[in-house]
Amino acid sequence: MKLKQRFKKSLPKLVTVSPVSIWLLILIAIPLVYVLVISFASRSPSGGIEFAFTLENYGKLASADYLKIYGQSILIAFFTTVISIFISYPFAYHMANSSKTKRTILMLLVIVPFWTNSLIRLYGWKTILGTEGVLNNLLMDAHIIKEPLNMLFTTPAVVLGMCYTLLPFMILPLYASIEKLDRALLEAASDLGAKRIHSFFHVTLPLTSPGIFAGSIMVFIPALGYFFVSDLLGGGNTMLIGNLIKNQFNTSQNWPLGAALSIVLIIVTLILVKIYTKVGGKIDDLGVA
Amino acid sequence: MKKTIKLMCLLLVFVMTITLFSGCGKSEETKTEGVLNFFNWTEYMPESVLTAFEKEYKIKVNYTTYSSNEEMLNKIKTGEKGMYDLTIASDYMVDTMRTTGLLEKFDNTVVTNIGNIDPQYTKMYFDETGEYAVPYMISNAILCYNKAKIPGGIKSINDIFDSKYKNSIVMLDDIRMVMGLSALSLGYSVNETDPAKVAKMKDKLVSLKPNIKLFDSDSPKTSMISGETSIGFMWCAEVALAMAENPDIVPVYPEEGISLMIDNFVIPAGAKNKKNAELFINFILRPEISKMVSAEYPYVNPNKAAYDILPDSYKNNPASNPPAEALKKGQLVKNLGDNAKLYDDVWTEFKNS
Repeated sequence: MKLKQRFKKSLPKLVTVSPVSIWLLILIAIPLVYVLVISFASRSPSGGIEFAFTLENYGKLASADYLKIYGQSILIAFFTTVISIFISYPFAYHMANSSKTKRTILMLLVIVPFWTNSLIRLYGWKTILGTEGVLNNLLMDAHIIKEPLNMLFTTPAVVLGMCYTLLPFMILPLYASIEKLDRALLEAASDLGAKRIHSFFHVTLPLTSPGIFAGSIMVFIPALGYFFVSDLLGGGNTMLIGNLIKNQFNTSQNWPLGAALSIVLIIVTLILVKIYTKVGGKIDDLGVA
Repeated sequence: MKKTIKLMCLLLVFVMTITLFSGCGKSEETKTEGVLNFFNWTEYMPESVLTAFEKEYKIKVNYTTYSSNEEMLNKIKTGEKGMYDLTIASDYMVDTMRTTGLLEKFDNTVVTNIGNIDPQYTKMYFDETGEYAVPYMISNAILCYNKAKIPGGIKSINDIFDSKYKNSIVMLDDIRMVMGLSALSLGYSVNETDPAKVAKMKDKLVSLKPNIKLFDSDSPKTSMISGETSIGFMWCAEVALAMAENPDIVPVYPEEGISLMIDNFVIPAGAKNKKNAELFINFILRPEISKMVSAEYPYVNPNKAAYDILPDSYKNNPASNPPAEALKKGQLVKNLGDNAKLYDDVWTEFKNS
């Protein structure tokens, strides 16, 4: 009787929550466990997986070559994040202080390009940056430069591509936190004699820092793994953690090592999110929960 | 924040609805009596050939593509059994797939045109009995240069190491082809596994790195045509196509030799429409159909009967029709087994140098 009652009580919960839970379990939890398991296996000579426990894959992660790749990856992700903040903050600030119609238009300008596949948009950058590309031709016609600049297939081109694809992830959280800002505080600052520049640095910036943190997390983490950007705009010269993982699963057919690398990337992500919540960020602002 | 989320959700729903219906456009179907699930390399089979086959046999071809042998292997290994009826694998991949039981024998009584293939390309090491693989095309990675930018030209692999070609090479993003290039320049086998020699290959490659502008396996010809790069190391057909667009491009069969790849039709184990796959193979082996393929993708055609009717533009182009001595110097890429890790380490270090 008691059991039945209990069941009756939890039925609505079961009906509403279980589809999502099953979905998450099948598509996220099980694959993750599988990745974790094979990261302790080894590669068979034909490129398959041999289930014999080994820590060899994790041992390999500390090799000098790989450390160099992590460093490079982190550096690129860092620059991408910083540049994104500098571009997005004025934009989001302006958007938050605009009229309702203008705000909608600006929002659409950020979101509409998202409807086109990012690969296609990156190909667009290739025609702009190439030696015989639009930008070089323009500069040469205007007699600003004599020799075409070497822009495509360089590391700055990769950072540019990353910033370009990830910009909305920075703009949206920033916009959300700037919009929430209580205008009365700014008025109070000005009443107390603060100049606009002072009130920006002492009021606006500290109050919108959660937005900056949230945006940074959402730009930094994907930037570590976006291998296609470095393939397309870096010409395969710049290796990121993402490229390394892709290579292990594809060309090298070494799934266990690829899995171990993925686990490390997941751990790095978790640590970053942990730091984010420690300094007072809310998981909700990341849009993951 | 709430407003933003609301707006974003609305937009997302909109996008999802649109994509949901995007597949419905092609529901109009002609009367077909069967299907063939064909998994092929990108840029490797003309649309016209598939349509001709569909028309003649009333078999619908479901065509999907991949861009490397390893990607294909991943899909076959991890996908549902019998998902594909026909695929194309390079020599060393045929070897891997056959030994791991991923392939099925084809039926000689259906593939009757096999005699059109030059016998030197059948019953090779990866299929000694000639029961699993039917050669489709032969591809080799060769060098090419832009004579407007490099008037002196290049003759050998070692020429491209010259520091005056800084930042000017486009190279296949293919571990075996690039390692093979290094091995050939040192006079080693393209399947070298002696660690000391592999270390030398690595050093040699690292010294080439400053000259490499980009790695591209999908369409390396683009950067040669546009003048972005002046030296290329790419598939022969890519060179032939680049030459058609930009007459300044000259193919080079390096003195040191080349790596060869023989691409074969193979039937994955558990194929549901095996008979249709065999009919398709036989169809491709017809000289006039094989000619259609070569006209669009000028790789080296092993079909003797087709060669006779191919136009002079194919025969006289050294990129699509390599000189016999160059082929003789060609080496087949083989499965390295455990030594693949050795190559992978070199590759990572080289890419990152």
